[in-house]
Amino acid sequence: ICRGDSQLCRQKAAVYSLDVEANPPERIFKLIDQVNPSIFCIHATNYKQALYLKSPEIPTPENFDRLLDKFGGATFSAEPDSWNLDMDAQNPSDANETYRYEYGAPVQTEDAFLRLPSPVVSSWCSDANPAGFLVNQATKCIRSVSVEKCDSIQALSMLFYINSSILASVFQVNITVQSIVVQSLNGMRTLLSRSDVLRLPMVLDGLCINAVLGVNYHITHTDTGEIIEAAAAFVLGAISKEALSIEQSFEISFTQKNTQPVPLSGNPGYVVGLPVRAGSRPQGYPFPAGFLFAALALSSNKHSQLTILQSTSTQDCLAAQGARAPVLFGYNMISGCKLRITAAMKCQPLAQTLLDVLKGQSFPEYVASFGNSQAQDVLDWVPITQLHISEQMMSITLQSSCQIPVSLGIEVKWAKYGSLVNPQARIVNVTATITTTTLKQLPSGKERIIPITSSVVFTDISSPAEPAYKAWPTINIKLPFDFFYPFV
Amino acid sequence: LSSLPLQILLYVNGVYYIFYFLATLAMIIYKSQVFSYPDDFLAPDLAVLFLMAFLEVPRLYLGFKGNLTEAEAPLGLSLGLTAGSVVLCVYLLLWQTYVLRADVLLNAVLLSAYGLESALKVTAIAAFVS
Repeated sequence: ICRGDSQLCRQKAAVYSLDVEANPPERIFKLIDQVNPSIFCIHATNYKQALYLKSPEIPTPENFDRLLDKFGGATFSAEPDSWNLDMDAQNPSDANETYRYEYGAPVQTEDAFLRLPSPVVSSWCSDANPAGFLVNQATKCIRSVSVEKCDSIQALSMLFYINSSILASVFQVNITVQSIVVQSLNGMRTLLSRSDVLRLPMVLDGLCINAVLGVNYHITHTDTGEIIEAAAAFVLGAISKEALSIEQSFEISFTQKNTQPVPLSGNPGYVVGLPVRAGSRPQGYPFPAGFLFAALALSSNKHSQLTILQSTSTQDCLAAQGARAPVLFGYNMISGCKLRITAAMKCQPLAQTLLDVLKGQSFPEYVASFGNSQAQDVLDWVPITQLHISEQMMSITLQSSCQIPVSLGIEVKWAKYGSLVNPQARIVNVTATITTTTLKQLPSGKERIIPITSSVVFTDISSPAEPAYKAWPTINIKLPFDFFYPFV
Repeated sequence: LSSLPLQILLYVNGVYYIFYFLATLAMIIYKSQVFSYPDDFLAPDLAVLFLMAFLEVPRLYLGFKGNLTEAEAPLGLSLGLTAGSVVLCVYLLLWQTYVLRADVLLNAVLLSAYGLESALKVTAIAAFVS
């Protein structure tokens, strides 16, 4: 059965059926009038376009340019005017307000947006990608170049990237040049000592030099979302005659003012898989006068993370070079090594060595409770509780004989914190338990191998969530005082 | 003597008209959501509906008053307003953007009520004049 719009009251329908009794079977075609029983069927319309789809505009010599502008690119958005050109239409009253950015909002400059060229549909660079506030991005894309037109291609010159000034707060922030690295044709990079001279691309000996191969933006902001500084580090290189395209790489990173640029392990709750941040109080700082944590610069810095022993291929505790693995939030780990004890080993140095092997060179005292805890916030850091457990329960023999640590167990208790729809992981308690055992004196010549283990366990101690309900609305009915006039 | 059938018909017309107005308004809202109903087609339909409601109130009031006080002037005026209402009703029946089957039924009933009313009013005027 084949029919038109089913909303109509009466419509013609074509019915095809197969007559199997005739020989050979033939197809029967009938035209019937189908009646829609619904009371809300369309009886008639006076609006002819209602029942048919809109036909697209046929390009003619008059409207071709307009259609090409609108639909000619690789992508077209539904709102082409929200971007680039029309900055005069923006209300000038905004200039007096402080310019606060929210996460993801495009960073605005005086003519458009701060551009971070990136590949859109293919690997070719598109200059229309705006940088989002607090969104650290790194992109690589290919740009087509030619050595002859080297000084006319805008995207190869430093000016293109530092020309515009960012709209922020009451004034505008200019983009300063932080450093310039020159890359030669064979890939060797040299840092220039003077970065205030603007180097523009020019043709020299058949090469195009000072072409931008990479830009690294560093934006400093306050904690209220205002941008206060912007700097760009350039990598300039040379393009040879045969090259038809070069690869450019761009990166942008945001740092909060007066903080170290430590990569966060979550914002604010810990993200599973990111390292647990830890630190220790340096000597001489009395509690609770505030903490400062040493050397929190890079993510690979072992001083700022909780680490456990990393198992090596030889599995020999004493030969381990101090390889440590960072503790990642949410990942329970266990590692270990084997200790070969000979008769000649003395107890105390052995115990100390094992303690170093298990705990590492700088075992932290405090662990950050949130992924973005700053060192200045004292209450955001959880102290590590250290416990010592002895394997043997005999109390008399404890003091006299030799106790060596054989295992370190770190138990991290975390809880979900915050709203039900977006719970954040927060570390509540960290306990490091050292288990010791007595070392019996061996007869000379004999050896023993004991396993040493260290483990990290994450336990969720969130209390069950209690959804809060809105209070029932109270019905407040009061009659006017003279309602029962004249009876009352 | 006042005409009793006219009185009954006017009363029933008043009640029916309230139902008719609400039903037609609801159907226009339904049509605007389900079908493609651009604004320059929606505006005349809504204007006609509201104009008809606006006319209905004085029309019924004048009809009641004229019939009960046995005066021909209000009844004549009511008859004139009925003619206007008939035109608007015919518009909603035939020339609306989307005419649903329910629209056809409601408007047909209203049109027949108007026709009967007009006939009764004419006889009442004839009775009062003489």
